[in-house]
Amino acid sequence: MNTTIEETLTSLESRFELKDIKQQRGDLVFVTVKKEQLISLLTHMRDNENFTHFVMLSVVDWIEDGVFQLSYILNNPEKHVDIVFRCMIERENASMESAHHLWKQVATYQRELYEMYGIDFPGSPRVHESFILEGWDDIPPMRREFDTKKYSEDTYFPRPGRESKDPKEHMKNKLYPDADK
Amino acid sequence: MIKLKDILSPFTAWNNVFKAPVTIKDPLNREAAPRYRGFHFNDIEKCIGCGACSMICENEAIDMVEVATVETTDGDSGLRPRVDYGRCCWCALCVDVCSTESLTMTNEFKWVSEDPEDFRYIPGIDEKPWDNRTEGWKKPAPNYEFNQLERVNMEMLGPEERSDSFVEIVQGYSKEQAEKEADRCIDCGLCVATCPAHMGIPEYIKTVRNENLEEGLRIMYETNPLPEICGRICTHKCETVCAMGHRGEPLSIRWLKRYIADQNPAEEYQRILHSNDIDTNDKKVAIIGSGASGLSTAYYLRVLGYQVKIFEEFEAAGGMMRYGIPSYRLPYDQIDKDVNYILSLGVEIQYNTKVGKDITLEELHEEYDAVFSGTGMHAGRSTKIPGSDHKHNYMAAGLLNKITKGEEIHVAKEIIVIGGGNVAMDITRSLARLQNQKYGEINILTTSLESEDIMPADREEVVEAREEGATIDPGWGPQEIIIEDDEIKGLRVQRCTRVFDEEGRFNPKFDEKDEKIFKGDMVVEAIGQGADFSYLKGELKDQLAFNQRGRLEVNEYFQSSIPWLFFGGDIIQGPDVIHGIANGHKAARGIDKYLQANT
Repeated sequence: MNTTIEETLTSLESRFELKDIKQQRGDLVFVTVKKEQLISLLTHMRDNENFTHFVMLSVVDWIEDGVFQLSYILNNPEKHVDIVFRCMIERENASMESAHHLWKQVATYQRELYEMYGIDFPGSPRVHESFILEGWDDIPPMRREFDTKKYSEDTYFPRPGRESKDPKEHMKNKLYPDADK
Repeated sequence: MIKLKDILSPFTAWNNVFKAPVTIKDPLNREAAPRYRGFHFNDIEKCIGCGACSMICENEAIDMVEVATVETTDGDSGLRPRVDYGRCCWCALCVDVCSTESLTMTNEFKWVSEDPEDFRYIPGIDEKPWDNRTEGWKKPAPNYEFNQLERVNMEMLGPEERSDSFVEIVQGYSKEQAEKEADRCIDCGLCVATCPAHMGIPEYIKTVRNENLEEGLRIMYETNPLPEICGRICTHKCETVCAMGHRGEPLSIRWLKRYIADQNPAEEYQRILHSNDIDTNDKKVAIIGSGASGLSTAYYLRVLGYQVKIFEEFEAAGGMMRYGIPSYRLPYDQIDKDVNYILSLGVEIQYNTKVGKDITLEELHEEYDAVFSGTGMHAGRSTKIPGSDHKHNYMAAGLLNKITKGEEIHVAKEIIVIGGGNVAMDITRSLARLQNQKYGEINILTTSLESEDIMPADREEVVEAREEGATIDPGWGPQEIIIEDDEIKGLRVQRCTRVFDEEGRFNPKFDEKDEKIFKGDMVVEAIGQGADFSYLKGELKDQLAFNQRGRLEVNEYFQSSIPWLFFGGDIIQGPDVIHGIANGHKAARGIDKYLQANT
C-alpha cells in the first residue's frame, strides 16, 4: 500500500464519477461525488484504500441553490492523508442514505444533522431523538431560513434591567430635541 | 467471559510512572490561545457609539446604553455597548463589524462571580482585570473586512474637457454605482444630528438599496425641498462624521441624494409627494428673496395651506444658488426643477421686485399676515487696501452675478483673486474658463491670508481649480494694488504669519521682511460678503433688536422682535444652503404658530 494520494484518486476515477477535485494541501484533497455513489465509495475507501478512520461529517446550507452540501472526511492513518467527499443533496425534504453501518459513530453525526438542519438519515439509530436541543419546538435552528435574531428578541430580550437606545434617536433627544416642534 | 488482558492491563500503566505527564498540571489557570475570543474590551475614546455591534448581534446580547463619562456630540452618540454574557456566544461578529476597531475580545475566558448581574457590563467603562490584555481577538487585517471602506468613484469631466466650459463636472452615479455606494451605509444615523436640516439620511440611502426612489424623494422632502440643489452643492457636513470615515472613506451622502432626485422625473413630483390637492387657508405670507431659506419657508408654509408670495429682486429664482454658484457645479436647469415644483404648488413669485425700492416692508406688512426675509449676503466686502478703488478691482459676488445673467464682464489676461473660501474658488474657476475661452490660455492666481491647511474652501475645490490651470498661492496678506499709468500692474503681499489671535478673533499679522508682488492687470476680491439691510428703515428698524456683533436677533423660530417679521438664511446663520433650508423649515413652523395664535 505505497500509493500516493494522486494514485488513489486515479484509481477512484476509474470506478466512480469524481468532480471538482481540489488538492488543498499535500495531505488534504476535496472531491465532489454523486449522491448515489457516495456510500459505495465510502465502503471502497474503508475496505480497499485503507481510509479506515472516519473523521467527521458536516454540512453547508446553500439556501440560494436549494441544496445542502454534505462533507464526509476520511483519514488514512498510515499515510496521514485526508480526503473530503462532498455530495450535494436536495434541500427540500432532505434525506440521505445512512453510513452508520460503516462506522458506528456516524450515527451520532447524523442525529446532530437531523436536529440542526432537518436532514433525515432513514435507518440510522436514534436519529430522531433529541441531541442537544431538548424541548425544541421551532424549525431546525441551523437552517438558514431560521431567523436567529427574531428568535433571540422574542426569547431573551425581555430580561429585567435591559434597555437599548438607538444612536440616532438618542442624539436627537440630546442635541436637537425641539426640531419637530 | 473475562479476558486475561483485561485483568493485567491496569498494571501496564505502571510503566509510565516515572515519565513526564502529558496532561496540563493546572488546567484552570491556563492562558488561552493568543487569538482566543474571550471577554470584550472597548476603547472608549475610539468608540463612537454607532451601534453596529449591537445591530449585528444575532443573540441580542448587546445593548447601547448611556454612560456618564461620554458626552453626546457631533459624530459620537455618547452611547456605548453593554454586553450580556448570558446571551453572548463569543462569535466575535461585533468585533468584526466595529466601524472604528475600538471593540476587541481579550483572550480571558474565565471569570467567577456569584451574582449573575455581574455578567452584564459595559466593556471599557466597568473596569475588569483583563482590560490591559494585548492577546485576544482583533479584526485580523488585511483581507478580512466586512465593511466596504472605499467609495464608489464618481465620474467627472477631466480638467481638459472642463476648463473652457461651464458644463456640469460631476456626472452622477449610475443605478449600479448608487446601489453599491448605498450598500456601504451601516445605518447608524450618526450623520443625522450633524446635518443642519437633520435629514433622514440612513432612511433615504436605504431606499436606494431597496430600489424605492419615490419613497426616497418623500423622505427628502420631509426636511429639504431642494434636493437637486443640495445633492450637488451641499457642504455635506454629514460626511465628516460618517462612521465609515474612521477607517475608510465616508459615504458619498451628497451624491446619493442627487441620485434619488435625478431619478425622479419632475412631472411625477406631485403624484409622488401627494401634493396635488392642498387645502388653502385665508392667511397670506410674503417672502423676501427666493434663495434657499425663502424657498424652504415658502414650501413648508404652502404645504400647511398658507397663501405664499415671494418677492425676488432678480429675474430668476434661487438667490446665491443661481447668482453665486457657477453652473459647472450647479446647472440652472436643476435649480429650476426644485423651484418649479415649489411654484407648482401655488406659491407665487414676483420677479424684478426689490423690497425697499419697488415695494416697502410696510406695504408688505399691510397686505400680508406675516413676512419672512431671507435676503442673503450679496454685497461683496473689500480689503480697502490702497488701490482697491481702481475700476479693474472687482467684487467676486458682483462678477458671479453678471456671469449668471450672461452679461459681458471684463476678463483680463492676468488676474489676481484675493480670498480662500468657496466663493474665491468659484470666481477663480469661472474666470479661468472665461480666460481660456477668450485668450486660449489661463493665467490666474489666487491668494489668501490663510495658509493651505486652514483655507476655508472645500479641499476638492482647491484641487480642481489647480487641475484646471489656476495657481493657488495661499498664506499672503494683500497690502497694496500697484497702479502705474492708471493700470493695475500687480498686488503687493506680505507673508501672513497668523490669521487669528489667541482668543480666536480675526487679527492677522504679517512679516514685513517677507514680501513679494503678484503680477496682474485685474484684481478680484472674494473675502466675504455682507448683508444689505437698506430695506429696514425708520420705525421698523428702531423696533428691531440687533446683538453686539450687529446681527439681527431672532428667537428659535427665526422670529424677530417684531412679531410678524421673521428672518433666516445667510443673514442669520451660515452662509450655506443647508442652514438656509433648515432655517426656512423652522421659520415656517414659527409663522404657523404665530398665525394660529393670532386668529
